[in-house]
Amino acid sequence: MAKQDIAIDVQNMTKSFKVFYDKPSTLKERLVFWNKKKSESRKVLDHINLQIKKGETVALIGTNGSGKSTLLKLMTKIIYPTKGKILTNGKLTSLLELGAGFHPDFTGRENIYFNASIFGLTKKEIEKRMDDIISFSELEEFIDNPIRTYSSGMYMRLAFSVAINVDAEILLIDEILAVGDQHFQDKCFAKLQELKNSDKTIVIVSHALESIKQLCNRAIWIYNGEVKMDGATEEVVEEYIKVCG
Amino acid sequence: MFKNLYNYRELLKSNVKKEIRGKYKGSFLGILWSFVNPLLQVLVYAIIFPIILKSPEPNYVVFLIIGILPWTWFTTSLSQGTYTILGNAGIIKKVYFPREILPISVVTSGLINYLISCLIIFAFLLFSGIGFSGYLVYLPLVILVQYVITLGIVFITSAINVYIRDAEYIINFIVNMLFYATPILYSPDVFAHTKFSALIQLNPLATIINSYRDILYHQTLPDLKMLLLVLVTGLVILLVGIRVFRKLERGFAEEV
Repeated sequence: MAKQDIAIDVQNMTKSFKVFYDKPSTLKERLVFWNKKKSESRKVLDHINLQIKKGETVALIGTNGSGKSTLLKLMTKIIYPTKGKILTNGKLTSLLELGAGFHPDFTGRENIYFNASIFGLTKKEIEKRMDDIISFSELEEFIDNPIRTYSSGMYMRLAFSVAINVDAEILLIDEILAVGDQHFQDKCFAKLQELKNSDKTIVIVSHALESIKQLCNRAIWIYNGEVKMDGATEEVVEEYIKVCG
Repeated sequence: MFKNLYNYRELLKSNVKKEIRGKYKGSFLGILWSFVNPLLQVLVYAIIFPIILKSPEPNYVVFLIIGILPWTWFTTSLSQGTYTILGNAGIIKKVYFPREILPISVVTSGLINYLISCLIIFAFLLFSGIGFSGYLVYLPLVILVQYVITLGIVFITSAINVYIRDAEYIINFIVNMLFYATPILYSPDVFAHTKFSALIQLNPLATIINSYRDILYHQTLPDLKMLLLVLVTGLVILLVGIRVFRKLERGFAEEV
C-alpha cells in the first residue's frame, strides 16, 4: 500500500495507564508516602497494529472498557502511546465531546468562533462557514443570545454543527450520533453519509450497531485491548452480537 | 512548534480575548476592574507609606504607579498562568490543540492590559508636571524583557502545577516575598550601602522596575547593561521553560 493512501497508521502501539489507589498530588503526600507504591500499571491497549486508508469509514466496536475510546484519544494526540507509534496524515478533527471551550456567558455566535478556533480554523475560514453552521443548527433566532439561556438540546445542536462543518480530512467521532430530536438526528446521519461519500476518512466509536451497518464499510472489534476481529461491517457485527449480545 | 502555533493563531487570539473579557463578565464595571484594582492598591500605599517612610520620593503617587502596574502584570500572569492548565482541564481532556497556547495567552492578555494601563501612567506623568523625555524609546525594550521572562517562568510553573498542586501556593508565597524584595514601594537607594544591595541586584524584576522608573520617572538612560543581562537570562528561562513544558505536556490529559 502506498504511503500517501494511508490516513491513520498505528504501529505496534501499547498504552498503559497508571492506576493510583490514592493519588499523591500534593507535596505533603509525595513526601510522606514517598516509599509506598500506590500505583500499578494497567495495559489498556496491547500491541495494536492498524492501517486505515484514506476515504474509509471505519467503526470501532466493543464492550465498555475495551479501549475503543482510548484508541480514539491516542489518534487525536490528546494522550500519547507508551510504546509504538501512531502516524496520521491529513487535517484531523475529533468529536470526542461536543462544545469544547464553550463559555456560557458568550453568545452562540461568539462560541462558534471559540469552538471552531480550537479545531484550528482561522478567522477567514470560520467566517466562510458561519452561515452554514448557523443554518445547520437551525438556531437563527437564538444565535445572538448567551448560550446559558439555551436548552441542552440546543446546546448540543450548536456544538455538533460546528464540529461537522470544520471540514477535516479525518474525522474521529465518539458516541455522538444521538444528538437532539429525531429530525436533527436524521439530519446528522445524512450529513455523515455525505461526508463519507466525499472521500473523508471517518472513524466512529459507537454502540448503535444498526447505524454502523448502514454507514461503515469496515468494522474493528476491540476486545480487552486487542484487535479481535477486523473486516466487513456485516460479518464483524454479526460475530460481535453472537459473542457479546 | 512555531508552525503549529501559527496554524492555531485564531485560537490564540480568541483565547486572549476570552482571558481579558471573560474574567470580569457579569460584574458591573466589567473590564474596568483590571485598572481600578491596581489603582486602589496605589491609593492604599500612597496613604500608608508616606507615614511610615520619613521622606518619600517627590510625586510619590506617580512613583508608585510606575512600579505597581508592571508588577500587577507580572503577578496576575504568574498566578493565573500557573493555574491555566488545570483550569482548562475540560478542553485539554477532550480536544487536541497546541497546549502552549494557554500560558501564552495568559501572559499576552496581561501584556495588553498593561499597555492599556500605560495610558493611565502617561496621564499621571502629564498632570504631575513630570512630562516625557526622549528615553521613552527604551520603553518597548523593557516591556519585551518583562514579557520574555514572565512567559518563561509561566511555562515552567503551569506545567509543574499539574503534577504537584502545591506549586500554586508556594508560588503565591514567593511572589508575596518578592513584592518587598523588589523596589516597588521604595527606591533602590534605600538599600544602597547595606548587605542587601547585592541581593537586590540579583533580582531580575528589580532591574525591570528600575528601568521603568529611569525612563518614566527619573527620565534618564536605563542601565542597559543590566537590562540586556536580564534579557539574556529571560531568554534562557524561556528556552528551558519550553523544554520543560513540552516534556510534561504529554501527560497533561491523564493528570488533570
